[in-house]
Amino acid sequence: MTRWGMVIDLDKCVACQACTVACRMENNTPVVSPEESELGRSILWNEVFPLESHAELAAEDTGADFLTRPCQHCDNPPCIKVCPVQATYKSDETGGQVLQRYERCIGCRFCTVACPYGVRYFNWYAPEWNPEIARHLNPDEEVSPRARGIVEKCTFCIQRLHKAEQLAEEEGREFRASDYQPACVQTCTGKARFFGDLDDPDSLVSQLARSRRAFRLLEELGTRPKVIYLKEG
Amino acid sequence: MKLSRRNMLKVMAATGAGGLTFGWKAFVDRPAGLARATALRGETRIMSVCQACPSGCGIQARVVDGVAVKLEGSPIHPINQGALCPKGQAALEMLYHPDRIPGPLRRVGPPGSINPADWEPISWREAITEIAGRLASLREAGEPHRLAFALGETKGQMNDLFERFAAAYGTPNVIRYDSLSHQLVKTAHLLTLGVNALPAYDLENTRYILNFGGSLLEAGRFTQRYIGGISYTRRGQPNRSRMITIDPRYSVTAAKSDEWIAINPGTDAMLAMGIARFIVGNKLYDEEFVREYTMGFDDFDDENGVRHMGFRSLVLSEAYDLDRVAEITGVESTTIARLAGEFAQNRPAIATLPIRGGLHTGDANGLYTAMAITALNALVGNIEQPGGLLLQHEPAFAPWPEYFVDDIAAEGLAQPRIDGADNDPLAEHVLQNLGANLNTGEPYAIDTLFLYHVNPAYVAPGGQRFTDALENVGLVVDFSSFMTETAAHADLILPDHTFMERWQDVPWEGLGFAGFGLSQPVVTPLHDTQHTGDILLILASALGGPVRQALPYDRFTDLLQYRIGGLEDADWETLIRLGKWGHGPYTFAGRGSEEWQYIVGRDRRDAYRDGRFDFWSRELYYRLSGINPADLGIKATGDEVMLPHYEPITYHGDEDEYPFILNSFQLMALGEPEYTSNLPTLQEIIGMHVGVRWDGWVEMHAEEAARRGLADNDRVWVESPFGRVKTRLKIVHSNHPEVVNIPDGQGHTANGRYANGRGANPNALLPPESGLAGTAAFSNTRVKVYKAEE
Repeated sequence: MTRWGMVIDLDKCVACQACTVACRMENNTPVVSPEESELGRSILWNEVFPLESHAELAAEDTGADFLTRPCQHCDNPPCIKVCPVQATYKSDETGGQVLQRYERCIGCRFCTVACPYGVRYFNWYAPEWNPEIARHLNPDEEVSPRARGIVEKCTFCIQRLHKAEQLAEEEGREFRASDYQPACVQTCTGKARFFGDLDDPDSLVSQLARSRRAFRLLEELGTRPKVIYLKEG
Repeated sequence: MKLSRRNMLKVMAATGAGGLTFGWKAFVDRPAGLARATALRGETRIMSVCQACPSGCGIQARVVDGVAVKLEGSPIHPINQGALCPKGQAALEMLYHPDRIPGPLRRVGPPGSINPADWEPISWREAITEIAGRLASLREAGEPHRLAFALGETKGQMNDLFERFAAAYGTPNVIRYDSLSHQLVKTAHLLTLGVNALPAYDLENTRYILNFGGSLLEAGRFTQRYIGGISYTRRGQPNRSRMITIDPRYSVTAAKSDEWIAINPGTDAMLAMGIARFIVGNKLYDEEFVREYTMGFDDFDDENGVRHMGFRSLVLSEAYDLDRVAEITGVESTTIARLAGEFAQNRPAIATLPIRGGLHTGDANGLYTAMAITALNALVGNIEQPGGLLLQHEPAFAPWPEYFVDDIAAEGLAQPRIDGADNDPLAEHVLQNLGANLNTGEPYAIDTLFLYHVNPAYVAPGGQRFTDALENVGLVVDFSSFMTETAAHADLILPDHTFMERWQDVPWEGLGFAGFGLSQPVVTPLHDTQHTGDILLILASALGGPVRQALPYDRFTDLLQYRIGGLEDADWETLIRLGKWGHGPYTFAGRGSEEWQYIVGRDRRDAYRDGRFDFWSRELYYRLSGINPADLGIKATGDEVMLPHYEPITYHGDEDEYPFILNSFQLMALGEPEYTSNLPTLQEIIGMHVGVRWDGWVEMHAEEAARRGLADNDRVWVESPFGRVKTRLKIVHSNHPEVVNIPDGQGHTANGRYANGRGANPNALLPPESGLAGTAAFSNTRVKVYKAEE
């Protein structure tokens, strides 16, 4: 089995927010108005913030001032247990991403409350783009804009997995783990992000996950995140 | 039909300038289409270069049905190696921006108006006919010097094109924005190392970085290059480097450093001298290097037998007693000694300069600060060796064709520059002076001004002066893609393609070895815009004579292909496919080698090119001959003038009335092109570290705010002797208490729907003056901060 995971080295991360913007451009998250963003309603699936503003996230001393936060893609995700309509689920057949079926979501926001990491985003309004700017939206079906009143979240860029598998098939070769990486990993300016199969003990992410510097956010909750951080230094 | 100048004048005589016609046809840039098509939906990937900041990262555009839908970093480009920062990622919002100027415009309303009703569309033919006629008449009248160019970040062949056009036409007035950006870094290297270029650092192999004031990881000109190099060293012990950031502000770079030194503002030179004193006093310096390859370390006699003080005597003098250094810098003497010891004993160690910010102090402080920091690298001999200071090599493009400098051009070129750069022995460009000179008409009035990728009305201290002055110019032409504060005062706007629609070579900076990225159109131009290079070549063709002789190309791509054709193993098709040309890795010029002898001292104008690093600057000595240093605002006297030293900044504003020193700083989210502040996604992430979105702010230390009864998010006035701006207060806990910080890039009064009217422009608080080497004054102003009535 493949179990996709991400390692983020906080010693290399420079809090530049390239991940935040790459994610937006790849996944078509809408810009919200200045007033809405002041209320904390920005839809940025991978936000970067000063740790002091979210001190609850890292109980131990990470040495870092800033944290970059995608969905942690828990192996034991609290969000799916509270969803009354099974809109959110862990996709074991694609490697364990926690995904959202937008057409099922009823917007109850139980999942956004249940998630201890705060990585589920609610569309308070219908997403809007200036019609000219909207031309650059990613045409991939998986990321067509979400409607008002539903919850959306990081998917580890699942559309990229689909395309990578399709490409391997068309090129008549076997799919390799290195064919697939989310947009945030690809763009990372400090090369702080690593992505791969946590079930392959020889993969770089597996090796890094065993490093002395490795830790997971709120590990004590038993959520078993597949995003692993490395402390500074 | 192509017209020589003479023919054209005949046509003009026959038809009047308005009726001038010549062989101009609309050029359309198209993607070269050599991109690798993937099997999926006929998508293409086109290699190009991001120009949302000066870094010059390679990009790979994903294009679906002719629409660019995603940018990625080019994995084979050595500067970014696949990475792309938030500005590059968001640049598609610029390409498809509703505020783009869709075609040539003529202003028919009042200057400064951003109301579309005050602008009328004109045809390219009409605009070019008017300009060509005007330039021909001006030259015919023997006044070519009354044409001026103000240039922002202008890369590769475009820069050469402007310079050749100006030289052949006959004007000395090509004024770049260096005085607002990175001039002093170059000047300091010229006066010490003898190389008039920005430094490159071999960061990957460095063990210890003393970062003086530079926001290397956010806004260091080659930001991505710095991030790549520094993050590479952070791969766990024992290879991990240490980085110390010395800055009154706790920047993101400071936060990411291993140690932050909250130095008193403007005293970096004092700290560098204190570190040098400890290194010299304890003989921790590289003795062989200092003895064989430097000049002026020890006291010396000149050819007339006059005794001069060297660097050693100066740093060991009472002036740099560590207790005194500690008192002035606010850094404990034990810390200074430790930094000095670490720096000297963890080689290769490197001391890095800020690109802007603290160096441009409006007086002599900044230059001597840069020289003192550079001297630290010489003390540990860390020049042209792994982990050290490198020289950026340039590609050897095909030589330009010869052309004849006629009498008109020769007389025009002999005129003084309009920005007064030739009045200062060290200045090259003084863009901020242009406004004053246009206002007075001294030394002469400018007839036609071209503005390329620069917005001095916003970015120059005292920018208002500039916009007023533009009314004194006969014709102002701006090539801007957006309605900036300056463009709004132009007579004609001839919008350039955006970087995703145009051809351009972007030479590598900060790597050392020679190479460039090729920017090529990733989509067909969306609007009725034209490559500014093409417009200049049409004008050259219309003018004929020496201008055409200097630029015998019909299109910018012809020029580019000609120049690139001169490179060893450069093949156009391969270049388009890879998006880059270059040869790494860097070859170090060994000490004393032939290459070393060539490099060290290469750009000295007056002093010996003898392969020696100058602690005692001979170049400065010769440049200042016959000049009283005090007239240039230099406070030191005697030999100290030629040596790195500390002299205090002369601040504007009385300390009692204006208790804070203003520090304007650069953000990761905004680049030098000011359209970056008009991109909604960048506005949404702009003030991540203080929790601000879509706004500007001023940062103040918590205790100072409490003392004044100010609370987080209060609306406050920030007032200097030169003006006041209203913005939001953000309380920070790590900051020098005497300093307040305002980010550069907000506070626009034009520039587009998402940028206009957000936050404050710190440049509006600064004095309209110039310091040594013609540099603008960004860090010599005191301010007061008080609550604004809502």
